Amino acid sequence: MTAELLIRIVELAAIGLTAGFLAGLLGIGGGILMVPAMVLVLGFGQHVAQGTSLLVIIPAALTGSLTHYRKGRFKVRDALWLAAGGIIGAALGSVFALSIEDDVLRKLFAGLLFIFGLRMLLPRNTSSLIRERLTARNA
Amino acid sequence: MKATPVAEGTTPSLALVALGAVAGVLSGLFGIGGGIVMVPAMVLLLGFIQRRANATSLAAILPISVVGATLFGRANDIDVLAAVVLSVGSLIGVQGGARAMDRLSDRRLGLIFGAFLVALALAMLFL
Repeated sequence: MTAELLIRIVELAAIGLTAGFLAGLLGIGGGILMVPAMVLVLGFGQHVAQGTSLLVIIPAALTGSLTHYRKGRFKVRDALWLAAGGIIGAALGSVFALSIEDDVLRKLFAGLLFIFGLRMLLPRNTSSLIRERLTARNA
Repeated sequence: MKATPVAEGTTPSLALVALGAVAGVLSGLFGIGGGIVMVPAMVLLLGFIQRRANATSLAAILPISVVGATLFGRANDIDVLAAVVLSVGSLIGVQGGARAMDRLSDRRLGLIFGAFLVALALAMLFL
């Protein structure tokens, strides 16, 4: 029993470490890694996995952003405008997520990953196409 | 490598608000930060250099995730103990990641971001 608990603690800390590293390096929250890990490895329900992920993202985003800020890597203005739209969107998204069944939410999450996966696998062409179109417009 | 200064020029606020709103919906709905949308959009559509996009995204994720965490917390959908242990790892990891940025060129950072998404996609398809 104690060994099991220890293994679980190590698992959680390792998942957090990986997610945090990706957050600091790549500017993502790490939730895209933590949520599936909690559901698949630890057997959490979808809602609890998502809520826990959001809570974990807060201190990581705070300390990571402070480091980026000290190094002058972003403009506070940009982040504030993003956040202005973001907090409204997050409220809408959360209320909707909390209103649906756990297994429906889980299927939606799988759908999100699937779409992102497909888009990543349809390679370079797509993104360079967008870039070409934008530069053509600006020229 | 010295810290690269942020790109010049002002990004239209409306584009940022709209992008933030999309990321926010994804964040609240799926318990993620939303960076997976914000970072590529800032690089490909708004012309940010990679490290500026990554850093801006993480800063915007902070207030966005507070909203979701508050609402999920009120619904009792948070495992606080798990969150504490995850955070121990995550707080160490985030500093490692933020510092590692200095040692990577902007191009390499972009490649790592792309590779991460492709790896995730492959894991989704085949695991």
